[in-house]
Amino acid sequence: MLNLPISRRELLTHSGGSFGAAVLASWLGQEVTAAPVSNLNGGLHHPAKAKRVIQLFMNGGASPMDTFDYKPELVRLHGQMLGPKEKPEGFTAAAGAVMKSPFEFAQHGETGRWVSTVFPHQAKIVDELAFLMAMTTKTNVHGPASYMMNTGFMLPGFPCMGAWISYALGNLADNLPTFVVLPDTRGLPYNQKGNFSCGFLPAKHQGTLVNATSKTPIPNLFADSQYAFAREKADKDTFALLQQLNRQHAAPRPDDTRLEARIAAGELAAKMQLSAPEAFDLTRESKETHTAYGLDQKVTEDFGRRALLARRLLERGTRFVQVWSGPQGAVNNWDNHGNIQTELPPIAANVDQPIAALFRDLKSRGLIEDTLVVWTTEFGRTPFAQGSLGRDHNRGTFVTWLAGAGVKAGASYGKSDELGYQTAEGKTYCYDLHATILHLLGIDHQRLTYRTAGIDRRLTDVHGHVVHEILA
Amino acid sequence: MKAMYMWRTLLGWLLLIGPAFADDNAFFLESVEPILNQHCYECHSHTAGVMEGDLTLDWQSGWKTGGSRGTAIVPGDPEKSLLVKAVRHSDPELKMPEKKLSDQQIAILAQWVKNGAHDPRITKPASEPIADTDWWSLKPLVRPTVPGDGTGNPIDAFIHARLQQEGLAPSPEADRRTLIRRLTFDLHGLQPTVEETKAFMADTSPTAYESLVDRLLASPRYGERWARHWLDTVHYADSHGFEHDVFRPHAWRYRDYVIDRFNRDTPWPQFIREQLAADYFYPKSTDLTVALGFLGAGPYDQSAAATAPKSFEYLDRDDLVTQTMGAFASTTANCARCHTHKFDPITQADYFALQAVFAGIGKGDLSFDMDQSVATQRDHWKTIQAAAQQKNSKILLTPENLKLVAEWEQSRGPIPHWVPLQADVFLSTNGADLKRQPDGSILSTGPPPDQETIVVTAGTSLSTLTAVRLDLLTDDSLPHKGAGRAHNGNLHLTEFELRAFTADAAEGQVIPIRQATADFNQAGWTIQHAIDGNPKTAWGIYPKVGIGHHAVFELESPLIIEPGTRLVVTLKQLHGGAHIIGRFKLTATDAPNLNVIALPAEVEAVLDTPAATRTPEQQTQLASAVLQHHAEQELQKLPPYVQVYAAAAEAANERGMVKFSTPREIRLLVRGDLEKPRDVVGPGALTALSPLPARFDLPQSHAESARRAALADWLADPRNPLTWRSIANRVWHYHFGNGLCDTPNDFGRMGGTPSHPELLNWLASELRDGNGSLKHLHRLICNSKTYRQSSACGAPLMKRDPENRLLGRMSRQRLDADSFRDSVLLVGGQLDLTMGGPGVSHFTTSPGPQVTPVLHYDRYDLDSPGAHRRSIYRVVWRGIPDPLMDALDFPDLGLLAPTRGFSASPLQSLVLLNNRFVLHHAQKIAERAKAAETKIPDQIKQIVSWSWLREPTPDELEKMTQLADAHGLEAVGRLVLNSNEFLFVE
Repeated sequence: MLNLPISRRELLTHSGGSFGAAVLASWLGQEVTAAPVSNLNGGLHHPAKAKRVIQLFMNGGASPMDTFDYKPELVRLHGQMLGPKEKPEGFTAAAGAVMKSPFEFAQHGETGRWVSTVFPHQAKIVDELAFLMAMTTKTNVHGPASYMMNTGFMLPGFPCMGAWISYALGNLADNLPTFVVLPDTRGLPYNQKGNFSCGFLPAKHQGTLVNATSKTPIPNLFADSQYAFAREKADKDTFALLQQLNRQHAAPRPDDTRLEARIAAGELAAKMQLSAPEAFDLTRESKETHTAYGLDQKVTEDFGRRALLARRLLERGTRFVQVWSGPQGAVNNWDNHGNIQTELPPIAANVDQPIAALFRDLKSRGLIEDTLVVWTTEFGRTPFAQGSLGRDHNRGTFVTWLAGAGVKAGASYGKSDELGYQTAEGKTYCYDLHATILHLLGIDHQRLTYRTAGIDRRLTDVHGHVVHEILA
Repeated sequence: MKAMYMWRTLLGWLLLIGPAFADDNAFFLESVEPILNQHCYECHSHTAGVMEGDLTLDWQSGWKTGGSRGTAIVPGDPEKSLLVKAVRHSDPELKMPEKKLSDQQIAILAQWVKNGAHDPRITKPASEPIADTDWWSLKPLVRPTVPGDGTGNPIDAFIHARLQQEGLAPSPEADRRTLIRRLTFDLHGLQPTVEETKAFMADTSPTAYESLVDRLLASPRYGERWARHWLDTVHYADSHGFEHDVFRPHAWRYRDYVIDRFNRDTPWPQFIREQLAADYFYPKSTDLTVALGFLGAGPYDQSAAATAPKSFEYLDRDDLVTQTMGAFASTTANCARCHTHKFDPITQADYFALQAVFAGIGKGDLSFDMDQSVATQRDHWKTIQAAAQQKNSKILLTPENLKLVAEWEQSRGPIPHWVPLQADVFLSTNGADLKRQPDGSILSTGPPPDQETIVVTAGTSLSTLTAVRLDLLTDDSLPHKGAGRAHNGNLHLTEFELRAFTADAAEGQVIPIRQATADFNQAGWTIQHAIDGNPKTAWGIYPKVGIGHHAVFELESPLIIEPGTRLVVTLKQLHGGAHIIGRFKLTATDAPNLNVIALPAEVEAVLDTPAATRTPEQQTQLASAVLQHHAEQELQKLPPYVQVYAAAAEAANERGMVKFSTPREIRLLVRGDLEKPRDVVGPGALTALSPLPARFDLPQSHAESARRAALADWLADPRNPLTWRSIANRVWHYHFGNGLCDTPNDFGRMGGTPSHPELLNWLASELRDGNGSLKHLHRLICNSKTYRQSSACGAPLMKRDPENRLLGRMSRQRLDADSFRDSVLLVGGQLDLTMGGPGVSHFTTSPGPQVTPVLHYDRYDLDSPGAHRRSIYRVVWRGIPDPLMDALDFPDLGLLAPTRGFSASPLQSLVLLNNRFVLHHAQKIAERAKAAETKIPDQIKQIVSWSWLREPTPDELEKMTQLADAHGLEAVGRLVLNSNEFLFVE
């Protein structure tokens, strides 16, 4: 499977023995970047286009027909009862009448892409994005749908994409976490931390949850100040003696690379202590950058801060960053059951300017050449009203866009039906999206496996096709 | 000769019609077959294993023979061909496939049929092969012969024979310090104390080691340690997981049950039966209800259960199948959900038969009595209650019950004299027009409000008050004559409240009610609900409307009425739908020693009849009223039910009472897709394990629990080859860090193969034939030379067997999260060994955006009550892990966790160095050392002996002293807790 002297499975499921340096490296999550792939631009199975990924996750089910999926038919059919007679599984209420979008749409850029007024900033960069216009999923319920978009399975316990990428490619730099999650400051998404779990993969592949507003964004990077014996010089001295004692302990036990792995992990931890504070220090960014990301405005401040932080981390070697918009729950997210006209614009405004700024920033720094940007959500919303003004969950069709490394700017794939209720052509599942992202990272999604409980598990289960139509 | 002739004929035929034949072939292969393949094979082919309507379309003979409707194709005649009809959707009875093909595709099929339906597929396609049973784990379990001369521990005989074959020698025995540390971590999940270590090292008895094993196995710490392994295996946690990751306050009873079962060394077959079907096997032992917590161990998607119930139930059953077959039989049956298992002999029908086992259970809290005698009494009085409601004279008129009735009749005080309460003010708070009637009663008129609260202020001539009586009266103005104003004449009295206002008092005094009785109670809406303080429950009279009723409210103690006292009666009627009182009257009495039951008029009439002349019917009427009341009182005296989060035919959850009157019908689903149901599948297990039954032979009407019981019997059968190997291997796995088969939940072809198959068979046989005792297995293993070996790895072993599969030495193990945390507490002298009870939350909570709270692990008071208890008693929140435990590879319990992982990462290092738990207890260790010794070097010696069970070397001591001098003794505590010597067990 991998070009290593022993199989991936042996490497990772046997913990008792000794395989020398390869295993040591594997426990530190680095081996795969090292040997087989330098001539593949960091890829695993074929040359990689992207080295790092930033995923922007709109939590709650962003409405396609009020943002990117222009549906003039909804205007014509507005008010007619065309929805399913019986409440489909996962709808929270029976379908109401067809409801047109309360927002104006206009065409933008050379590609003439339709965008509604809720995204004035993204409208200006549409020519740089590639749209999957017929994404679909298997459930209308937040929990399982969020699991699907993150892990490819509807059940808990499976590794998310970030964990798989960490497992496959390891780190780009050893002084920062490989996989970072930046949840909305107002709360965790559906499934709590389940969406960032490493499932059955080794624990080190799970997402590091970073609280962007905390004084200690990486928990436990330093001891709390009340423990003076673990701060500064005391910390350094203790750590130095610890490493010395651990080396003495390991010396007569050369067979056990786990001992060495712990010692090496300690060294990396020390490096992280040195580098992370700088990486997390947004005051090092210019005033112009702060303004561009909207850090000076209340509405964009939170998402803008996290988008900017994400860029700093990616720039310094973090492999995968996931930035969430909206917590779980009934408000402050994309789950606009009650009133699309009043609930969607505020959450859209939270992210719109920061996203456009992030893209331009990545571009101006040249990072976009090998950075993939993904904008997605867990499902769409009904073209039928819920109550009279809101929209219910709809697994039928929704929108995702990608941009950056290896992506064909201005491309579009798939179409929803005239109502925007189901897909019409080019149906794309999370499996296909994940396969495409892995493909850009130089990974064949069918060959990235981990054996657990009798199955060679994949991020894409037994599915997945790379969507070549949107690749450069 | 004959062959030659045939050749010639064939060749000639080919030459003759070759070109046309080739065209037809090409047309079929390029145009027709892809359509069939894409749109028909899913339900009509051998490869899919599905032959809907007995029709296959994946070979010529299939459509020629046709299915249940006859031949599918009449070559040359599309109009007469069922296949063409079906794809055209012209016959409403026969529209295939569901989503109509394109016109072009239909035209191609019609053309093909018209042209004679040429079909080159003349050989029968292979069915999707069912893997054969020639596999180590599926072979009958036969006790193997032990190698060697029959002396010594058989485990060593197997291990040494194999080492010898490989030209290797076993390692020498480890030293005593290592042995006690190894054993204590292995059997207790704890560091031994210095005293225990010293005592063992000084023990000169030849059986010192064996005695230590026995002592450790007898300690309750053993159950706490090994229960954790099982809870991992069945993905037990204290919250739901998923979107609404809600706490399960009653889940812990299952955790305590597992601890208890390990400590008692419950025979494994019994353990299986209790967890799957205690309600079936042990109906008299209600305390065993806790065992069913097994069925509720996994996650629960509360959101999907509410909004997408079909898919929720399907996936929930899937999880139960996965858990049950994985945990007990190391089988990945769930891999056969979408298709017959690709590697193991498990058909898709087998999988759905397993789903059918769990098709009648709901998850939630089960209520039960821990004390069997209470359960017996509760049963008894509930039977009486039911008999009273059904007027079942057979039960009501037993001598025993008649005696109770007679006793009541004798003890009954004089018939109370009911004096009207003089209602001078009466108010409807919701706008009904209340009118006093000539008889003193009050009638509600005008448009009926949805809800109602009536407040009556009255005086009384009585000087003592012992009870108040509420009469509900009929009136021609009321629907069905009342006494309620709901459309059906019903009413719901939510709450009855009585207050007394002495003269000039600003505030009334609430008068407690001792008991309430009514002449009639609507099912589920008894008079008790009017005094329970719950605004959601109430008393009702349906269907006995159109006649008068009354209720009597007895006071807790007689109320002395001082002159000028006003009584205020509040009648809350909050149900809605105009379930309000139509006409009523209030009276009161001062009769002492009341034991009144509000009796229906016909029963009052019985009481007026001399006992000797009562008819059996009258006797039944009286007994029914009296015993109903008596049973209610007896039931109230019993301690309340306790609960466990589990699953059964009836369970209470957020949706109320989930009750399956009959199990769901389970159908095989093509590709596991709910939209593609096929034949019904009955409860069963695996087909391949004959003579064990593939499907369970249950009577037509059977209790839901009988299905689970049948599976438990199937699993616990001595002939089941998987069960015994599965648990024997698990036990080995936890002792050595690796199973003999290194995939404890998968004994299939995708799993590992055992390093010592004969040894595994021998251990499994010991368990099967030795009453399923795990402690017997522990003793055998722990006392073996193999287990007692040193973990030092010499060059030959390192070269030949780096993974230690041959066990020429002991494997070193890193402490798991729980053992680390517990041992930190022990080293600091803080460990609290309190057992059992509700879990300890190692976090504080604040409200989250929806029902899942926000957990603050960083704000928890590390010295709060229970904070120093063992980790098995901590609340495990499925979706929000504890960062400390997480860093040490505590598993994600969304899935089964038969093994704990090992990882080493910078983030783990940071957690171990800086997590406040570690730092807090580094301080505790320093405090403990300072209390024990005065000089820093001596304090350090203490710390080292507690954590490493040895003296520091002079070099270590010097450096640690320097560290303590510069930064405090706490720094040394932090150091040792992070050391590999502490974190690893030799």
